[in-house]
Amino acid sequence: MLEFLRWLLNQRDFSKERENTKDTARQRLQLVLMHDRLDLPPETMESLKTEIYEVVSRYLVVEEDFMEFEIRRLDELMVLVSNIQVKELDRLVTAT
Amino acid sequence: MKGRTIVITSGKGGVGKTTATANIGTGLAMRGQRVVVIDTDIGLRNLDVVMGLENRIVYDLVNLIEGECKLHQALIRDKSQHELYLIPAAQTRDKNSIDPDQLRELCAQLEEEFDYVLMDCPAGIEQGFKNAVTAAKEAIIVTTPEVSAIRDADRVIGLLESAELQRPKLIINRINPDMVKRGDMMDQRDVVSLLAVDVLGLVPADEKTITAANKGVPVVHDKKAAAGAAFLRIAARVDGDEVPLMEIESKSGLLAKFKGLVGINGSAYSHA
Repeated sequence: MLEFLRWLLNQRDFSKERENTKDTARQRLQLVLMHDRLDLPPETMESLKTEIYEVVSRYLVVEEDFMEFEIRRLDELMVLVSNIQVKELDRLVTAT
Repeated sequence: MKGRTIVITSGKGGVGKTTATANIGTGLAMRGQRVVVIDTDIGLRNLDVVMGLENRIVYDLVNLIEGECKLHQALIRDKSQHELYLIPAAQTRDKNSIDPDQLRELCAQLEEEFDYVLMDCPAGIEQGFKNAVTAAKEAIIVTTPEVSAIRDADRVIGLLESAELQRPKLIINRINPDMVKRGDMMDQRDVVSLLAVDVLGLVPADEKTITAANKGVPVVHDKKAAAGAAFLRIAARVDGDEVPLMEIESKSGLLAKFKGLVGINGSAYSHA
């Protein structure tokens, strides 16, 4: 009987080491909700892009058509990714 | 009299909006309030069967709004609560049969006669949702501790805020205490950390909710049922009483503990 109880307790301890699926659920949801909430309307994304172009243009001559511009998931983070082709570096000198 | 118009909504279907509406409405009536519950899910009528009033329907919400009957003709009195009335949804019409202004006007009229006007909102975020939300002045969101329900609840909270229904209150329904205990179900703290809203109530998963609906008698009538007690508490909180949230605990009897142990073993076995 004692053996049986010990076995029973061991089984229970073992089960505790198992992953808590609720933590997985919470972490996944945190990202999903952040993404949902950040789902900016296209107009907003467009004006963000325009303003970034304006700022960058003060320092560099860049291609107006961005190679990449989006908010996306990077592992545990939400990131704004933007790749802009630099055409000339001249303006860097005039800006400073 | 100036009543309160509250919409009960969720985004996702099947999380217990209708059950919550029936039980909160009944609970408020049991507290002596004059209550009308409106089923705004046109085409998918359900509140009537949950309340056991399906055989008494003559006129429905669309008939009333289109002026085919008088208000008192569309109000169906509850079987046990004399100050509780139902306005059923139309079953053979679609959600575009009414518009937000018409529903708002009706609610304004009902507020003059009732302490509470509760609207059971259809699932989704389309026209039916917009109708109910536009007519309401307060909102209760029902969710379950599951990823899909919580995501939809978050979306609805965002939409309610843009509809100027600030500070909606949350009901977390169908909490399974055993699963919470072993870390397999999000608890109140988890849900609140995700949704950032005030909690109105916690309702444990309870077979009696289903058996009560089978009979057409809302579970709030059964004070011994955990879910019944939970809904009574929610009704009290809606009504302004400062009763604490229900503690959702797993059954702690020796037998239940033993069963739990065996249950855990079982699952450990299958994963091993």
